[in-house]
Amino acid sequence: MPTDTKRLRGPEESQSPMLFLPPDAQILKASSRDGSRGHADVRPIFARCGLVSQAKGSAYLEAGNTKIICSVYGPRETERKDETDMKSGRLLCDFRLAPFSCLKRGAWIQGNEERDLSVALIESLQPGVCLHRYPRSQIEINVVVLENDGSILAHAVTCASIALADAGIEMYDVVLGCTLRQDGDTCLVDPTFAEESGNWLGGYGENQGRVTVALLPNFNQVSGLHADGEMREDTLTEAVRTCMDGCHKLYPVVQHALLRAVKRKAPPSVK
Amino acid sequence: MASVQVSEAEKVYIMHGVRDDLRVDGRGCEDYRHMVIETDVVSNTDGSAKVSLGHSDILVGVKAEIGKPRALVPDEGYLEFFVDCSANATPEFEGRGGEELGIDLSNTLYKVFNNKHSIDLRSLCICPGEHCWVLYVDVLLLQCDGNLFDAISIAIKAALFNTRIPKVHISEDAEGGKEIELSDDPYDCVRLNVENVPCIVTLCKVGQRHVVDATLQEKACSVASLLLAVTHKGMVTCVRKMGGGSLDPESISEMTETGKRVGKALHAPLMDLLKKEEGLGKNRQKVGFLR
Repeated sequence: MPTDTKRLRGPEESQSPMLFLPPDAQILKASSRDGSRGHADVRPIFARCGLVSQAKGSAYLEAGNTKIICSVYGPRETERKDETDMKSGRLLCDFRLAPFSCLKRGAWIQGNEERDLSVALIESLQPGVCLHRYPRSQIEINVVVLENDGSILAHAVTCASIALADAGIEMYDVVLGCTLRQDGDTCLVDPTFAEESGNWLGGYGENQGRVTVALLPNFNQVSGLHADGEMREDTLTEAVRTCMDGCHKLYPVVQHALLRAVKRKAPPSVK
Repeated sequence: MASVQVSEAEKVYIMHGVRDDLRVDGRGCEDYRHMVIETDVVSNTDGSAKVSLGHSDILVGVKAEIGKPRALVPDEGYLEFFVDCSANATPEFEGRGGEELGIDLSNTLYKVFNNKHSIDLRSLCICPGEHCWVLYVDVLLLQCDGNLFDAISIAIKAALFNTRIPKVHISEDAEGGKEIELSDDPYDCVRLNVENVPCIVTLCKVGQRHVVDATLQEKACSVASLLLAVTHKGMVTCVRKMGGGSLDPESISEMTETGKRVGKALHAPLMDLLKKEEGLGKNRQKVGFLR
């Protein structure tokens, strides 16, 4: 593209001034969590199915300010012919953060973080989907984060599993996700973006970490586990348990959303 | 990823063996394969190491370059990881075939080092907000025979131990302009403290039990594995469930415990070995790439 040499060009690199705000030290106090949310409480979620008319199945999920939309296409014939294991289908995932979704503007092309989230999402969903029922085919899952206010992976897992169910893909169980932020001895379930990243950059304390768990609630099996930071082993085990409790709290909402979608598709016959 | 085809009968054989704590190559469930570590193998790098674990061969080179610190942490340097899957390892990696695995591996490495204690990043700062050292950690996979993560993390620890960063001085002239001066003596270097660098332990669930350092055959028998990055103090810096299966909460805590124990036990002999090798100086026997 030819550049306009007459125009005064800005610096090659620029940053949002918001990034230079001093980190809010008060974040990790219980009283400062919005509303009357305690440390172990998840944000109330809102979930709906079937919003994207073109997709086989779709879902929209909102938890606080985190807003995620997911659509599922397929199963269709697999594109890759060289794949040795043709007996079972595969999941493909395209995870995108909208450029305006985070504090810092992102690029339109898929970055490393998004690719990492795609892999994590597939790993978490795969145990819940009956892939052996779809030989030689692929199921595409597209996730767009419209607004990132923390715990995006966990909510994307929940959202994608609702969309898969809405698409009529055979599944063993829905997959629910929950994130936890460990800060010293306190743990915050379902952290917002500020809670997720706040203090971490400044603090050199021990037991700082983030844990995301994906759970199959009916089998009580953990289908995904991702953690980083630095934690003691006992803290980690405890964090996984807390996350599992958090996942169970989402289950009624997810069930309700699916039930609603099914009723709308096939209204009960009136006699 | 490089994988092998294993028949059903062979799988049953391996799984029964693991149940009785006896693996195909005679190891117990918590034993590593024979490991060969050599540091300072590539002269053009600031630090390098080669690790062979069974038939997995990993070469790591560390290059230090001067860059600009990140805006949010002006008083710290940073590490960049890049994993290249050579087509020598398996024809699957030819062209862009290894890209997916490479990105996956390097993203995991970023997570493993995403904490304040693994490497003292503040020691990499030259001039806050202006200059810092950027350590480019380039990993090359020469041969794949299972358990890449563990081998890579050990190779990185060895390469960082071997890394020598030249000393620089900042001189300020009358107008306040700063200049970076490199020391004339090439042996005038700074070493990194690698004590807290974690090692990755991958545990593969095979049947009812889990094994450490799985070969490709054993990996084919397992549906889910757990990756743990453990420091010498037993702190866990990264956890990841891999593979298409799910895990019982009970077995997760069991595996975390095993991972911590195995990981902790791995660090002391590794550091001893690295120090011993360095102590040999010029007398050490070069192993090289042909064995």
